[in-house]
Amino acid sequence: MTTDTTGTQAGATTASAAPPSDHHAAPPGADDRSRRTWRGTLTALPWIGPSLALIALIVLFPAGVMIFNSTRDISQSGVDRGSAGLENYADVLAIDALPRVLLNTVVWVVVVVGLTVVISLALANFLNKQFPGRQLVRLAVIVPWAASVVMTTTVVYYGLQPNYGIFNQFLADIGILEVGDYGFTKNATSAFIVAIVVAVFVSLPFTTYTILAGLQAVPHEVVEAARMDGASRSRTYFSVILPQLKPALSVAALINIINVFNSLPILRIMTGSIPGYDADTTTTLIFKLIQSDRRVDLASALSVVNFAIVILVIVAYMRIVKPMKGVDE
Amino acid sequence: MSATTQPAPATREAVARESAPRRKASKYRTGGPGAHGSVTGRVIAGIVIAALFLVPYVVMLLGSLKSRPEILRIPPTYLPQEWHFDNYVSMWSTPETPLPQNLVSTIVISVFATLLVLLVAVPAAYYTARFRFPGRLAFLFLVLVTQMLQPAVLVAGLFRQFLAFGIVDTWLAMILVNAAFNLAFAVWIMHSFFASVPKEVDEAAQIDGAGRWTVLFRINLPLVWPGIVTAIIFTFVAAWNEFAASLVILSTAGNQPLSVALTKFIGQYDSAWQYVFGVSIVAIVPVIILFAIIEKRLVGGLTAGSIK
Amino acid sequence: MKDPNTRRTTLSAGRPLRLVALTAVAGLTLSACGFGGQGGGGDEGDGTTLDLLVPTYSDQTKALWEDVIAGFEEENPDIDVNLEVQSWDNINDVVRTKVQSDQAPDILNIDAFAGFVEDDLLYSADEVLSPETIADFQESFVENASMDGTQYGLPLIASARTMFYNKDLFTQAGLDPEAPPATWDELKDAAAKISALGGGTYGYGLPLGSEEAQAEAGIWFFGNGGGYGDASEITIDTPENVEAAQFFQSLAAENLTQPDAGATDRTPLIDVFIQGKIGMIVGLPPTIGQIADKNPDLNYGTAPVATKDGSPVTLGVADHLMAFKNEGDKQDAIKAFLDYYYSPEVYVPWVDAEGFIPTTKSGGEELATKETIAPFLELLPNAQFYPSTNPQWSAAQGAIQSLIGQVAQGKEAQAVLTEIQAKADQ
Repeated sequence: MTTDTTGTQAGATTASAAPPSDHHAAPPGADDRSRRTWRGTLTALPWIGPSLALIALIVLFPAGVMIFNSTRDISQSGVDRGSAGLENYADVLAIDALPRVLLNTVVWVVVVVGLTVVISLALANFLNKQFPGRQLVRLAVIVPWAASVVMTTTVVYYGLQPNYGIFNQFLADIGILEVGDYGFTKNATSAFIVAIVVAVFVSLPFTTYTILAGLQAVPHEVVEAARMDGASRSRTYFSVILPQLKPALSVAALINIINVFNSLPILRIMTGSIPGYDADTTTTLIFKLIQSDRRVDLASALSVVNFAIVILVIVAYMRIVKPMKGVDE
Repeated sequence: MSATTQPAPATREAVARESAPRRKASKYRTGGPGAHGSVTGRVIAGIVIAALFLVPYVVMLLGSLKSRPEILRIPPTYLPQEWHFDNYVSMWSTPETPLPQNLVSTIVISVFATLLVLLVAVPAAYYTARFRFPGRLAFLFLVLVTQMLQPAVLVAGLFRQFLAFGIVDTWLAMILVNAAFNLAFAVWIMHSFFASVPKEVDEAAQIDGAGRWTVLFRINLPLVWPGIVTAIIFTFVAAWNEFAASLVILSTAGNQPLSVALTKFIGQYDSAWQYVFGVSIVAIVPVIILFAIIEKRLVGGLTAGSIK
Repeated sequence: MKDPNTRRTTLSAGRPLRLVALTAVAGLTLSACGFGGQGGGGDEGDGTTLDLLVPTYSDQTKALWEDVIAGFEEENPDIDVNLEVQSWDNINDVVRTKVQSDQAPDILNIDAFAGFVEDDLLYSADEVLSPETIADFQESFVENASMDGTQYGLPLIASARTMFYNKDLFTQAGLDPEAPPATWDELKDAAAKISALGGGTYGYGLPLGSEEAQAEAGIWFFGNGGGYGDASEITIDTPENVEAAQFFQSLAAENLTQPDAGATDRTPLIDVFIQGKIGMIVGLPPTIGQIADKNPDLNYGTAPVATKDGSPVTLGVADHLMAFKNEGDKQDAIKAFLDYYYSPEVYVPWVDAEGFIPTTKSGGEELATKETIAPFLELLPNAQFYPSTNPQWSAAQGAIQSLIGQVAQGKEAQAVLTEIQAKADQ
């Protein structure tokens, strides 16, 4: 019985996803028509038009410039010296550190997003319970979101500085370190790990709140029904609540993947003083190409490559996870 | 509980059936794994969680109250030796940056960017959740693509574009940038929330003669408050902390947001960290206030929306 | 905007949608060209507006420039000067974006100018300065600001490096606090004795992190008769440089420096010295002021940088102003502003307040006795400069910053320098 209820509810959750034959999914009139003809797209225009206009007005041109620049020969001061064909792409692919950088990028995205999602699920579940002071705890959890990522990272970075870092001193005072001069941010591995911790930390509020919002939409009766049937708490959670969370969770994960992929400040600050490319992702490499090598053209080419990778990852994600389940079936 | 503002009985019924029960304030409504803790246990866990999340900002706050030399002392001090609360006064009139104007800038840009996002994203999210039409998936994907571009490489094109529009160094430019590049999450998250509202609700209202826009604003919106609140916070926070584009597009000191103003305290050899930390704290406060105000909506969700 | 036609056709090949959008944008561009200067709202009236973009040297920088501008505008009511101040972290991004969009500032304060000259963006000095002003620059700086015999950079401030050492630590380690090391061997010996004191004390502060690794490395290279090359050629992987790199590698390997030397940035490390934890470190003029600010009790001395054989040499650095050839006839206004700025009554107090070495003869005479500057002025005759007139230098510098620290991490010196050389030669 439990599973039946769940199934129905899940279906309702993604009502729009229902296949065409599903009667209640079809409001009378226009919708039938719109499915078959492009007139439907026209009907949709007043609704989606403003979004399209905003994107066309603001995003299209700079994105075009990025692609254009990736095929140009641009001087260090920014002057366009003519076409470079696909040379920049060849140069990008010839960067020795590229395999390591790509591997770092994969580790970075998978670990940060994975940890974020798991911890956020637990945290949202906890914050959804009743207890005195819950609102204050919720406010505390929101703070890393409200604060700028650059500043959060800077504080942690300085706290971990050898000698005058307050976290280092604390670790020394409680006896974990002998002297407070361990360089957490001074070698690629530990700096990368610290960066991951910070990235998870700053991603938690957003993800937790998205899930929390999703939890608000889980019908109470479903949970009750499962309980009545004698399902254990964890069984109820995994087979009843979690499926209901899918829309919110999958969108949160999606946005996280994109943002973590393109996240610059955390790694830039945490690993910025480390020589070489051992702790770089594609995003920080793009930054170094601009900042150190003064190669805007090369950086643009790498950005285009990076952009293509993100699109592939997202397409794969949508195929596998189906964040708008049913719609694309 | 079922006192929606909608006139149609069928609608009200649908709303009540699908969603009202979850308004019951039961103490243990959605248990999860390991959800056996007593209330005391939860309070303790809550305190620990809150503390963990606040650590960096407590360090920031304490740093902002230290004197300039003390911040970089070896060994470091946990608490300020002298409490320089005056840092919070003097930061508003430093030679480096006109902080009051920077605060106003940040507020104006973030508020209007958020409003603009809501204005364009709500109809799009609603319509794509309710109706299928050719190009629908393409549209949703296109929206998502805007989120995937690297700001560091885009600023060159943005700057050139706003030169052409004649709005370089204006708030309008940054409102547009923030709105355009933060559209994706708003559309997608609201889409998934609209999709979870049963279609019977719409149908019933339409049978009653309500137009689509009425259905959206009077019936659906109140039901998807949690999603809207999440979208508002996401957009607002992103706009609040935006840096890369503001740095280049806003050149007049008074137009720049706090995120750019902060960097003015960082000198070549020596930085005014007490101000950097202090301004960061100041910048957090308005977001927390906004959140405290609308958080009730998130918790309250349907009640708040449907009872008038 | 530059050649929108080329851009449009190239881009639109096979992309009809974008063509439409770009045509629309290009149309807007054309109609918007009438706006002229950036800023959108800036009504220029009959006067001229100069855009001045400068980096932050200290927390006074903005106020000091505002004073200069106020004084200038009073004398020249028909010229407005727009000041934009950016941190050193960001100024390169801002400049590049503006240059890419043909919106270069009229006057820019930054370190390197050769790249702009290569793109033919700058006025030469004699186009924007009166002969008297030019004649007042010290010759060594003029030479370092000229390419093919033409001066483009307008030397603004200079600094030289000198060694700071902690006299108390010297005494504790049984060293003579009045006889700082002059050769590498003496330095290594002193560093070993100070490091042996323990308790978080380091003999030599070696900042090879990305912040300014090219300065620290350069000092070692110069100290061995090596260097970075000249206006026509960048030389990184020379035997002298490799030997110098091997030497500082040995300092790090034998723990005579702070830990993680390859990833330690300069600014935080100087703070560690100021707090009395480092025996010797290379510092610069503002360091004196910082010590007075943060730890006035520090018992320290300054001495020439130690070199392999003890012959005096140091690194000199000059930052420059430069004037861009922008649309509109602004040359006269630029000239008026620069001549005003470099007049001794304006320039000397400015450079004095920032705590740097003046680049003009009149300034040098006036400030020669200042105690914060005197130790550095003495060194200037022996100063070597970066090959900043070589357009490749910027890329070389970036490569050094992001790679040289690997030497201190134990990677073979020759291999690292070869990699940097390859990047510079690209």
